[in-house]
Amino acid sequence: MGRKKGLSGIPVCSCCNEPAVVYHRHSRRSLCSTHFTSDVEERVFLAMEKNQMVRAGDRIAVALSGGKDSTALLLLLSRHLPKWEDVSLVAITVDEGIRGYRDETIRAAERVASHAGVEHSIISFRDLFSDNLDTLLEGREEQACTVCGILRNKALTQGAKNSGSTKIATGHNLDDEAQSVLMNVLRGDLPRLVRNSALETSGCFLPRIKPLAEISEKEVASYLFVNGMFLDLPECPYTRYALRADVRSMLSGLEQRNPGTMLRLVESKKKIEKYLGGAPVSAPLRRCRQCSDPCSGDLCQVCMLRQSLGR
Amino acid sequence: MRIILSNQKIRVIDQGPASVETILSGLGINTLEMIVVRNGTLIPEDTVVFADDEIRVIRISHGG
Repeated sequence: MGRKKGLSGIPVCSCCNEPAVVYHRHSRRSLCSTHFTSDVEERVFLAMEKNQMVRAGDRIAVALSGGKDSTALLLLLSRHLPKWEDVSLVAITVDEGIRGYRDETIRAAERVASHAGVEHSIISFRDLFSDNLDTLLEGREEQACTVCGILRNKALTQGAKNSGSTKIATGHNLDDEAQSVLMNVLRGDLPRLVRNSALETSGCFLPRIKPLAEISEKEVASYLFVNGMFLDLPECPYTRYALRADVRSMLSGLEQRNPGTMLRLVESKKKIEKYLGGAPVSAPLRRCRQCSDPCSGDLCQVCMLRQSLGR
Repeated sequence: MRIILSNQKIRVIDQGPASVETILSGLGINTLEMIVVRNGTLIPEDTVVFADDEIRVIRISHGG
């Protein structure tokens, strides 16, 4: 690490002589808070433009958990909103009902939505599914992330539809995306590996956009810290049961030793999509025979889950 | 050097000057999973810290 350092031992910014706040390992650049903030914002909006994530007339439902990723996403989008023509934002928070965790993040979500001046609504598992997640999971805690993922997806979609949204924006960052690629490979789930939820053309689903998909988790946390919005919030108590926790730890170690690993993994998914050239890899969409939601089988995942939970 | 860890425990080590990455690696901590603060300011992992410094290590929480 032979970069130029100031008297305090802090390397100086690669763009000016101010003390750096981050070191970007892959590009080997050090950036001060001003240049780092600009760099993150430019990369996010470049990716949004390149992938045509937002169009005139869009109403974007921002999935706002109150955690770092969704907080950064809402701040970034609300700062950029005046530059878009005829685009509006609404923040949707899903209250799964997780004791000792969700209440604090909901308060954080309320604060950030208010700070950003964005309309905010909360939709709960109790309202939609008659019970909170803690109750639904009694005796099956090891299935927490699967159960929560299916129900949270349904709740978020419902909240977005209730608010008249045309798209859903989620705070998935580069680490999340790389983990998902590896998890889908480990599960042998090709349809999910190559699914592009932003290109929903069937009219069955609300398209999903991921503006932070090229920003690392550490960059998201650093962006919030230097902008005075970082909160040291609790972590979901169920994360320890997830396959993702093992994959995250493994990928993080690989990235530390081989900078660029996560980016290359995400790019490999894009190459597979390209080679497939739009060839179908899953059964055509059908309608759930119980609730009429789009699905690939006889029943949608929510109805199958409700059956298995006896609800 | 005093290191305030993310679980609020304090480690005092007789080391420095050395980079943040070297110090944290010695404690088995992956710097990609943490942000590090000195005197309320975010510092990069290649910052050289000194024996009389106090740094705070904040674990980046995951998920939403």
